[in-house]
Amino acid sequence: MMLRQLTRRTILGAASLLALAPMLAFAAPSSEEASAFVNDFGGKLVAVMNSNTTLDKKRDALLPLLRQNVDVQGIGRYCLGRFWRQATPEQQKIYLELFEDVLLNAVTARMGEYENISFRLVDNVASPAGQKVTLQISRPNHPSVMMTAVIDGEPPKVVDLYGEGASMRMTQRSDYTAYLTRHGYKVQALIDALKHQLGRQ
Amino acid sequence: MACKGSTMQHHKGRKTALFTLVGCLTFSSLAGCTAKPPKDPDELADYKAANDKFEPFNRKMFNINMWVYHKALRPVGRFWQKHVPQPIRTSVATLNETWREPAVFFSDVGAGRPRRAGDAFMRFLLNMTTAGFYDVAKHLGYKQHETDPGMVLALWGVKSGPYLFLPGLGPSSFRDAAGYALGQGLTPINYVPSGYGLISFNWGYNILGTFNTFADNTDQLDQLEHQSLDPYAFMRSAWQQQRQSQIDALKADHRATTPDWY
Repeated sequence: MMLRQLTRRTILGAASLLALAPMLAFAAPSSEEASAFVNDFGGKLVAVMNSNTTLDKKRDALLPLLRQNVDVQGIGRYCLGRFWRQATPEQQKIYLELFEDVLLNAVTARMGEYENISFRLVDNVASPAGQKVTLQISRPNHPSVMMTAVIDGEPPKVVDLYGEGASMRMTQRSDYTAYLTRHGYKVQALIDALKHQLGRQ
Repeated sequence: MACKGSTMQHHKGRKTALFTLVGCLTFSSLAGCTAKPPKDPDELADYKAANDKFEPFNRKMFNINMWVYHKALRPVGRFWQKHVPQPIRTSVATLNETWREPAVFFSDVGAGRPRRAGDAFMRFLLNMTTAGFYDVAKHLGYKQHETDPGMVLALWGVKSGPYLFLPGLGPSSFRDAAGYALGQGLTPINYVPSGYGLISFNWGYNILGTFNTFADNTDQLDQLEHQSLDPYAFMRSAWQQQRQSQIDALKADHRATTPDWY
């Protein structure tokens, strides 16, 4: 009986180690790396937002920055949850393209309100999801806002954002899951809704 | 006096009867509005994660809430935001926070967090020198924080129970709805008796507070509606996570009660 348990435990242990192996390639960045990354990326974002240019030009400047520094594909997959496996390769491709635009829209939607902003790092802790770096964002005549970015992977990228204690990707996933559940579990229905949301229909 | 007392008792009795009626109606509605747990394992995992057994009822309540928001609260909130100067809006917000401080104080005591309780006590004391209109305490190092009886119940190990959305109250749970009722009992402004001049202050406090809250939140609510496919689910998830993070922060707050210079 004991031998059986031991064997089962060993197998389970080995299995979990094997499961972790691919994660080595995605080693979490160190605290210093994460801080340096956030300072660099944040500085570039703030420079775009504070620049005296049109909203369209700011949007154009933001897109390559987001592609380079945010794990859009990973977040997109996470948000689709179990429906990712159900989607056809074509649907996956379209969904990820739409998701990138949704993300960009979310960033740029209220960009006009975020001018003359500055930020400083206030905390940096390790978590299973990656290194959590908390920033304090200040704007003139407004109370400061706290935001936490989760940094992971090699090269480091933003894999999640937390505002008021809520994870952006988890909230988005709940939104999509609820929508799909109420629309016959059809990924195409979600794709159509995202197109509609982006004003493409 | 006796007459006044009996009128108040009558008023209280009517209030209790009304609450009992609303409670009974809510629970009888809830009983008929339970979502069946799905059989598919993946679906079941999502169902459990949402913790929303009464989703059909909650969605109806959410729709009523949003209808009222669009028809009345949003226009008023927008008007308030546009025409009332920021310093006045800040004062109204501070007034609301200050009058809530006793409930925060008792919650901090219940949670066994003396440093937080001290902060809440000092905030009430200092801000009441301006009748609660100006946040003097903030400038003296006593920043505003939120602790409510729902968080204390969580700290005591009371389970949240299923998610609950009630019009006016918003996202909640059985535990937090009970906490809200307790919080109301701990808020001194709610004890202003009818027939006294202060009742108009009480009404003003509540109405202005509501306008102010909506004025401050219309942008967020509009954004929520535009940027989510299912605003109900989006709000539910965000609220559940935020609530858990507030409880975690309260649990982790073991700051010493001695001053920093000690």
